[in-house]
Amino acid sequence: MKKMFHYLRPYRFLAIISPLMMVGEVTADLLLPFLMSFIVNYGITGMDLTDPVHGSQTAIAIMEFFHGASYSRMELIVTFGILMLVITLIGGLFGVLCAYTAARAAQGMGYDLRKDAYGKVMSFSIEQTDQFTTGSLITRMTNDITMVVDFFEMLMRGFVRSPMFLIGGTAMLLMLDLKFTAVLLCSIPVMAVVLVTVLSRAIPLYSLIQKKLDNVNNVMQENVTGARVVKAYVQEAYECNRFDAANRELTDVNYTVAKLMAVISPVLTVLLNLAIVAIIYIGGWNIRIENAGMTTGSIMAAITYMTQVLNALMMVTNVFQQISRASASAKRVNEILETEPVVVGGTETEGRTNSDIAVSFQNVSFRYPDTKDRPVLQHINLDVKKGETLAIIGATGSGKSSLVALIPRFYDAVEGTVSVMGRPVQEYSLTSLRQKIGYVMQKSELFSDTVEGNIRWGKPDATMEEVEEAAEAAQATEFINGFGAKFQSYIAEKGASLSGGQKQRMSIARAFLRKPEILILDDATSALDLATESRLRQAIHKRMQGTTVIMIAQRIASVIEADRIAVIEDDGTIRHCDTHEQLLKTSDTYRSIYDSQMKSGAYIEKNTGVTQENSFANQSSLEPDEVTVQEQKGGAQSDGRE
Amino acid sequence: MAENNTKTELPQMPRIGRGGAGQMNSRVNVQKPKHMKQTIGRLLQYIGRSKFILFGLIAMMLLTTGVEIAGPLFQQKAIDTISFSDGHLVVDLAQMRVYLVIMLCIFVLSAGMTYIQGILSAKLSKQTVYVMRKDLFETISRLPISYTDTHRHGDIMSRMTNDVENISNSISQSVTSLCSAVLTLIGALCMMIYYNPFMTLIALVTIPVTIAVSTNLAKFMRKYFVEQQKLLGQLNGTVEEMVTEYRTVVAYGKEEEALETFAKTADGLRTASIRARVWGSIMGPIMNFLGNLQYVLLASVGGYLILRGGTTLTIGSIQAMLQYSKKFSHPINMIANQYSAILTALAGAERIFEIMDSEPEVDEGTLAIKPEDIRGEISFRNVQFGYVPGEPVLKQFDLEIGAGKKIALVGATGSGKTTVVNLLTRFYELNGGEIRIDGVNITDLPKDTLRQSIGIVLQDAVLFRDTIAGNMRYGNPDATQDQLEEAAHTAMADGFIRRLPQQYETMLTESGSNLSQGQRQLLTIARAVLADPKILILDEATSSVDTRTEMQIQQAMNNLMKGRTSLVIAHRLSTIRDADCIVVLGNGTVVEAGSHEELLAKQGEYYKLYSKQFAGAAT
Repeated sequence: MKKMFHYLRPYRFLAIISPLMMVGEVTADLLLPFLMSFIVNYGITGMDLTDPVHGSQTAIAIMEFFHGASYSRMELIVTFGILMLVITLIGGLFGVLCAYTAARAAQGMGYDLRKDAYGKVMSFSIEQTDQFTTGSLITRMTNDITMVVDFFEMLMRGFVRSPMFLIGGTAMLLMLDLKFTAVLLCSIPVMAVVLVTVLSRAIPLYSLIQKKLDNVNNVMQENVTGARVVKAYVQEAYECNRFDAANRELTDVNYTVAKLMAVISPVLTVLLNLAIVAIIYIGGWNIRIENAGMTTGSIMAAITYMTQVLNALMMVTNVFQQISRASASAKRVNEILETEPVVVGGTETEGRTNSDIAVSFQNVSFRYPDTKDRPVLQHINLDVKKGETLAIIGATGSGKSSLVALIPRFYDAVEGTVSVMGRPVQEYSLTSLRQKIGYVMQKSELFSDTVEGNIRWGKPDATMEEVEEAAEAAQATEFINGFGAKFQSYIAEKGASLSGGQKQRMSIARAFLRKPEILILDDATSALDLATESRLRQAIHKRMQGTTVIMIAQRIASVIEADRIAVIEDDGTIRHCDTHEQLLKTSDTYRSIYDSQMKSGAYIEKNTGVTQENSFANQSSLEPDEVTVQEQKGGAQSDGRE
Repeated sequence: MAENNTKTELPQMPRIGRGGAGQMNSRVNVQKPKHMKQTIGRLLQYIGRSKFILFGLIAMMLLTTGVEIAGPLFQQKAIDTISFSDGHLVVDLAQMRVYLVIMLCIFVLSAGMTYIQGILSAKLSKQTVYVMRKDLFETISRLPISYTDTHRHGDIMSRMTNDVENISNSISQSVTSLCSAVLTLIGALCMMIYYNPFMTLIALVTIPVTIAVSTNLAKFMRKYFVEQQKLLGQLNGTVEEMVTEYRTVVAYGKEEEALETFAKTADGLRTASIRARVWGSIMGPIMNFLGNLQYVLLASVGGYLILRGGTTLTIGSIQAMLQYSKKFSHPINMIANQYSAILTALAGAERIFEIMDSEPEVDEGTLAIKPEDIRGEISFRNVQFGYVPGEPVLKQFDLEIGAGKKIALVGATGSGKTTVVNLLTRFYELNGGEIRIDGVNITDLPKDTLRQSIGIVLQDAVLFRDTIAGNMRYGNPDATQDQLEEAAHTAMADGFIRRLPQQYETMLTESGSNLSQGQRQLLTIARAVLADPKILILDEATSSVDTRTEMQIQQAMNNLMKGRTSLVIAHRLSTIRDADCIVVLGNGTVVEAGSHEELLAKQGEYYKLYSKQFAGAAT
C-alpha cells in the first residue's frame, strides 16, 4: 500500500484539496439540521428568539443581518428556508468539486500506475512472465489496478466523510447538550461489538465462497470443453450430480453469510431507535427541570445528528472491508512493480566482423528457474556457420525449443556462453540482438488486425510490394487471395478462423519481411504438408541467401535437406550433429526416430519404386490446401516447455 | 482440442471481415434487456417456485414498512407532549413515557421482522439461484455438440458466473430495497394525506421535478459510464493480447510500440473516467437540493397558514409532515440507483433464458437394445451433411463396415473425416440418407444406448479433475479394482501409474499437467478399454505426440482395437497401414477404398498422399 501512496504524490495537491472539499460538503450537511431546528422552534412553534434559555444568538444575528431589528415569523421561516437551500447548493458544489479533484488525482495515479506496470511487464524476460503466469499478469494489470484506483478515489471521498460526520456530529451533539453525547457514547461500543462480531465471522466465509464458486466454474469449464467426452460416455447425469453438489455447497455458504449479515440491520435499527427514545426522554426530563436550555428543535436536531453519526460508523466498517481487499490488490500490483527485469541488455549493436560463425553455444547448460530437476540442456557445444541451415530434432520435451530460446535471450543460460556473430548475446542491446533474428514459433501468434497488418508487424515501414513478396515466399499468397478482401481481410479473434498451416505461413511471412540475419523456425512448419514445406525451403534458399537458418522439426522429411542436423538426446545433450547419411550411421536416437517414421517409407521405395523426382512432380501439380493431410489442428501440438 | 476438430472443418470464411470488430462492441455496450416483459415474467416464475417464502417475504415487507411509517408518528406524538405556553416549555412526562414505550415495542417488533425478512430474502435468493444454476447446467448438458462448437466457451461460462451472480444480488438486495422503497413512499404519502391533504399537494409539487431530473440525469450519465466501460474493456483487451503473445512481442522488439498504444488507451480511459465520476457525483447534491426545497416549501406554507390563522393545522402536524417529507426523497433516490442494477440483472437473465431456450438434442429412439448386444456392423447409406446450409461437407457418403473390422479414414483437411465421426455418434444430425448399426437405423436407438456402444479417443486427451482411477472409471463407474488394473495393463498405462506416488489414487492437477502428453493419451485409452465398447473411434489420437511415443501408444491402441469395430482417423499414414480397409475421402464422397497394398498398386489419391508423406525418405 505504501508504494501506492508514492504514486499519488504527483497529485498530492489535488489529493489534499479533495478531502478539504469534502469538509465543506459535510459542514453543509451538519448545518442543515440546525437551520431546520430554527425554522421549527422560532418559525412554526413560535418560541422567543431572544429568550435567554431557549433563544439563539446565532439566529438573532442572522435575522438582524438580513432584516434589521424587526421581522415577522414568516420572514424568519423564509429567510432560514432560503439559507437552507443556499447551503445545500454550496454543499453540493463542494461535493462535485471533491468528486472532480478525487477523480483527477485517482485516475491520474491510475494512468501512471498502469503505464509503469505495463512498461515493467514489457521489460520482463520470458522467464519472468512464466513465473507470474499469463493469467495472473492479466488480472494484476486489469482488475487489481482498477481496484486500487477505485479504492484511492473512495478514500479521498468516503474515508474523510465518515470520520468527519462522526466528529462533526458528536461536536454538534455536544453543542446541543452534553447529555445527548452520553447517549452516543453508550451506543457506539454496543454497535462496534455487534459489527466486529458479525464481520469477523462473515469475512473468512467470503474466501470460502470464492473457493466454492471456483468449484462450480471448474465443473462448468470441464463440461463445456470436454462436452464430446461427456456425451460419448453418456455421463450427463453423473455430471449433473457433480454440478449439483458444487452448486449446493456454494448456495449453502452464500446462505450462511446472508444469514449472518441479516443480523446487522435489525440490531442497528433497534440500537438507533433506542438512542432516539433516550434522547427524547432526556429532552423531556430536562424540559421539566426548568431552564436547562432544552427545546423541541434541539431534540429533533439531536435525533438527526444521532442518525448521522451511527450511519457514519457503519460506513467506517465498510471502508475497513475495502482496505483489506484493496491492499491485497495493491500487493499484487506491487509485485510487478518491484520485480527487476533480469535480462538487461548491453550496449553493443553489431557483431564482430571477423567471425564466420553466426551462432555459437559453448558448454551451455540450461535449467528452468525454480525447478530442481536435472537441467533441460547439458553442456551443449555447437557452432552454426553463417548462411548454414541447421536442423534440430529430438523427442517431445528434450529441450529443442529451450535451446533456440537462448539465442534472442528469452532465457539466459545457467552455464556457458551463447554468442551471436562472435559476440556473447549479453553484450548486445536487446533491440539490436533481436533485430538480427527472425523467430517463428510453432504456436503461431496472430493479432486482431488485417492480414497486411499482421505481416507488416515484422517491419512497419515496409512497402506493399515487400509485404506481398514476403507472403509469396512464405507460400501464403494463394490462400490470402482466397479471402474476400485479400490482404485487407480482418483476422478476427487471433485467427481462430484460420487453419494451423495458414497461421504458420503468415507468421513466417512476418519473419521474412524483416530479412533477418538469423531465421529461427521453432517447429514452425509442423502444420504444412511436405510439398508446401519443401517449396518454402526453396524460397528461403533463393531469397534469403546468406541467412543462417535454424529449424526445429519433428518430421525426418523436414530436416533431411538441412546442411547439418543436431540430434538432442532425451537427457538434453547433443552428441551428434551431422548430415542425414552420417547420422543414420552414428546416432541411435536419430535412427530410432527415422525408423518410427520411415519404416513404411522404405517400403514404398522398394515395392513401388517411387523416387524423389516423380514424387516431387506430383506435389508441384497440386494446390497446397487440397492436400494438407498434415495440416494439424491449430496449435494443438504444443510441446509446452520443451 | 475436440471442438477444434470441427472448427477447422466448418466453413468459417464469413468470420473473416470487419464483423469481428462489431462483435466486440456489442459485448461492452450498455446492458439492456430486449424483451423486458417476457424476461421479467420468466424470472418471476423462477422466484414464484418458492411461493411460501415469497408470500412470507411480501408480508414481512408490508409489516416492516408499516411499522417504519408508524415509528415517526409516535416519535412525533412523544415530542408533541412538549408544548410552549406563556413563554415556557412544558412537558407531560407521563404521556411521553407511554409513547416512548410504544415506540420501543414497535422497533423491537420491527427489528424482529426485519431479521425474518432478511433471512427470507436470503433463502429466496438461495433457492432461486440454485434452481436456476441447476436448470442452466442441465440445459447445457443436453445441448447438442453443435452448440458448444459454435459458441465461445468464455461466453457460455460467463452466463453461469456473472449473469447468475447478478440475478442473485438483485434478488437479495435490489428487489427488496426497491420494494421497501416503493412501500415507504406509499406509506409516507398516506400519512401525509391523513394529516393534511392540502399540505400533501404542496409536498408533491417537487416530485415530478425529482423524477424528471433523476431519470434524465441517469440517462445522460450512462453515456459516460458506457464510454468508460468500453475503454476499460479495450484496455483489458490490449493487455490480454500483448501478454499472451508476449514472446512474439519480444521477438520482434515491439515493447516500446506496445507501450505507446497502451498509454494512449489508458489516457483515454483517464479522461472518460473523470468525466463519468464528475457527472455521477452531481446526482446526489441535486436530489438533496430537491429534498430540501420540499422541506422549505412545506415549512413556509405551513408557517404561513398557521400565522394567518383560521386553519385546523396544528404545529405538531406540520412537524410530522416535515418528518414524512424527508422519508420521501430517500426512496426516489433509491429507485433511481437500483434501476440500472436491475436492468443489468434482467439483461443477464435474458441471456440465461436464451441458452435455456436453445433446442436440446433430440432423442426419439425407443428400441430396447442393450449396448452389449450390439455386434458392431455399421453402414452409411447415401449420407448427406453440411454444417452450414448450402455448403455440404458430405455429399454422398456410402460405406459398409463389417463387425470387428478396422477401417481407416484418410483425406485432406475439410474432406469430412471428423464429420463422419460426428454423425455416427449423433453429435450432429444427418441432412439426408441414413446410418445403420447392425441393420438398425441409429435414430431408432436411444442416444444413451448408441453412445454406450461407442468408445472415442480424441487427439486432445480430455481428463477431469479427479483421481486416475476416477478418470478411468468414467465410462464404467462400477468397474472393480482388478478390472481397472487390467484395463491399465491393456492400455500400457500400468507402468507409469505404478511409478506415481499415490498410484491409482493420484489426483490429476489442473488439466492433468503432472502427466506427459503421451501418458495422458494412454489414460484416455485405458478409459475406453474399461468402458468396453463394441465400436471404437480413434480420431487423430496420436497427433499430439512425437513419433517414438506414438509407437508406444500404437501398441496400446492395437490391444484396444482387438475384437472391436474400429474407425481410425490419422494424419500419419504409417499408423494405419494394417487397416482392413482404408477409405479415402474427397469432395464429400468416398474417392477410393481398399487395403494399403491395393491402394498403392492403384496409384490413385492414396498413393499421392502416401508418397507425399514419405517423399523425403526416398532419398
